[in-house]
Amino acid sequence: MTVKIEVIAGGIPHTKIMVAGIIASLVCLYLSYLNVVTNTEMFSFFGGLAVIVALVWGSNTIKVLCSYGIGTGVPSAGMIAFGSGVIAMLLATKFGVAAPIVALVLAAVVGLILGYLSNEVLNMKIPAMVQSLTELAVVGAFTLMGFAVLMTGGFTFAALTTGTVTILGLSLPSFQATFMGGCLIAVAFMLGALAIQHPFNACLGPGWTQDRMLMLAAECGFLSMFVAAIMSFALITAGSALISLIIALVGWGYTYMQYIEFSKRDAASWLDAKPIPDVEGQ
Amino acid sequence: MSAVAAKPTAGGAMNPTAMAVGVVLLLVILGICWRVSPGLGLMALIGMVVGGVLIGFGTHFVPVGGAPAAMGQAPGIATGVAMLAAGAGLAGLFGGAWAADQGLVVAVVTGAVGGGLMMAITCMMVNFIYVFGMGIPAASGKVLNDPITGDSQKEFKSQGTEGHGLPFVSFVGGVIGGILAGGGGTLIYLMILDVYKATLPTMMKATEAQIMPIAISAAGIFAVGIFLVNAVLTAYNITGTIEGPHDPKFKRWPRAIVASAVASALCGLAAILIVVM
Repeated sequence: MTVKIEVIAGGIPHTKIMVAGIIASLVCLYLSYLNVVTNTEMFSFFGGLAVIVALVWGSNTIKVLCSYGIGTGVPSAGMIAFGSGVIAMLLATKFGVAAPIVALVLAAVVGLILGYLSNEVLNMKIPAMVQSLTELAVVGAFTLMGFAVLMTGGFTFAALTTGTVTILGLSLPSFQATFMGGCLIAVAFMLGALAIQHPFNACLGPGWTQDRMLMLAAECGFLSMFVAAIMSFALITAGSALISLIIALVGWGYTYMQYIEFSKRDAASWLDAKPIPDVEGQ
Repeated sequence: MSAVAAKPTAGGAMNPTAMAVGVVLLLVILGICWRVSPGLGLMALIGMVVGGVLIGFGTHFVPVGGAPAAMGQAPGIATGVAMLAAGAGLAGLFGGAWAADQGLVVAVVTGAVGGGLMMAITCMMVNFIYVFGMGIPAASGKVLNDPITGDSQKEFKSQGTEGHGLPFVSFVGGVIGGILAGGGGTLIYLMILDVYKATLPTMMKATEAQIMPIAISAAGIFAVGIFLVNAVLTAYNITGTIEGPHDPKFKRWPRAIVASAVASALCGLAAILIVVM
């Protein structure tokens, strides 16, 4: 038996993942604008894809930051990502079509100041701190905006706050049945925060490999997308929500199988323990 | 860069230049707020800064043990700073939000009691598990005698550990931390809610009753966001574990005050800009 090394220690360089993450998330968020162009809600699933791209990028950023042993646990990085991201994202929704780009800029500014505070005022002195917190704030903002698109079909302030309720066939405007009014944003917040902090927390250690961690990030993303797609039935048409649901299910199935494959590859040995067998004749 | 090669060099030292930059940044943000919304907005932002500072200061009281505490090798509650602060503060925030109609003082006190109660229950159950589940006594590793009860700690401390369990002073610290963080979180929520209740009806051309779900939800999520940012910044200040108010690391609190004030002002400004722009 020969030992085959498939991935070098570093894997894909972080800068490459970051640039790809920013561009792919922005493109996915803007592709959801096809909803407005074609006057349907069919393209809401692009929001979910933006979430997954952002989460994959974010989990690699967390790896870069937490390699320094910040002493506060990996989940804290996920919490500050979404705490700063939600603030930038909500303010950005006010800017209409420009919202995703404004979210990128605003989140970067918020993250930059938080990074400066932690590194200089709190005296952390970690080289990757400022850049990582900046990236994480952008990841948080993109993820929440992606969830908003997935559930409502739009990323403008009006789309997130005004909806309709149908009572006895009569369609009434309502602020309650919306992403903001129904506080679905709180669920989106936690879905994203759990998905971003889990991959590195689960894969860290001497046997860490980048492709396995990123595949787990994509798997967590699709799982979150699945839950968000179920909630989107309340706000967008059933057909559009079904498209998101099917994409999430297929994506989750594929990434889960791949993750198991990578885990088998990286494991020292693998025992496929079967479920408890039925004992016949008793 | 490996985890072993690059340990954080954070110490107890203060960086005077950075502190000054922080204070200037705070004044600039307050100035911007004064320009865009001189009355209501500025008062709300000052309230949010006070709330953020309370969270940042309060978190230093909470005995955080982290992974070593789970193995009985360090005193404190066996989880991270961010998780504990979020637990205590959000419990307080939700408690305070429930009493939002009864006025500022009642709501903030309710939030503080909620946060303190949450920490008191957590600390008690943690000690139950330490004493009856893991079979270890409570002993501090940082002081010889408990500052409150005067009980000697050295005889109960196992060799090779930094202490274990949850000594009385840590318990009291946890409750004080919960009270400060819960009150601070509620103050932030109430301030944002006041601004939104006053401005959203004209902005969205609807009655106050109609916009209430939006106002409450947006104020809630902003308060949670600001809370988590403050809690994590404080966690970075502590870098890992702290035993409570008697721990030497407690003396680092001035740094956290500046950082929390700037971070809360920054996030609060975004929350106000969304309705006045």
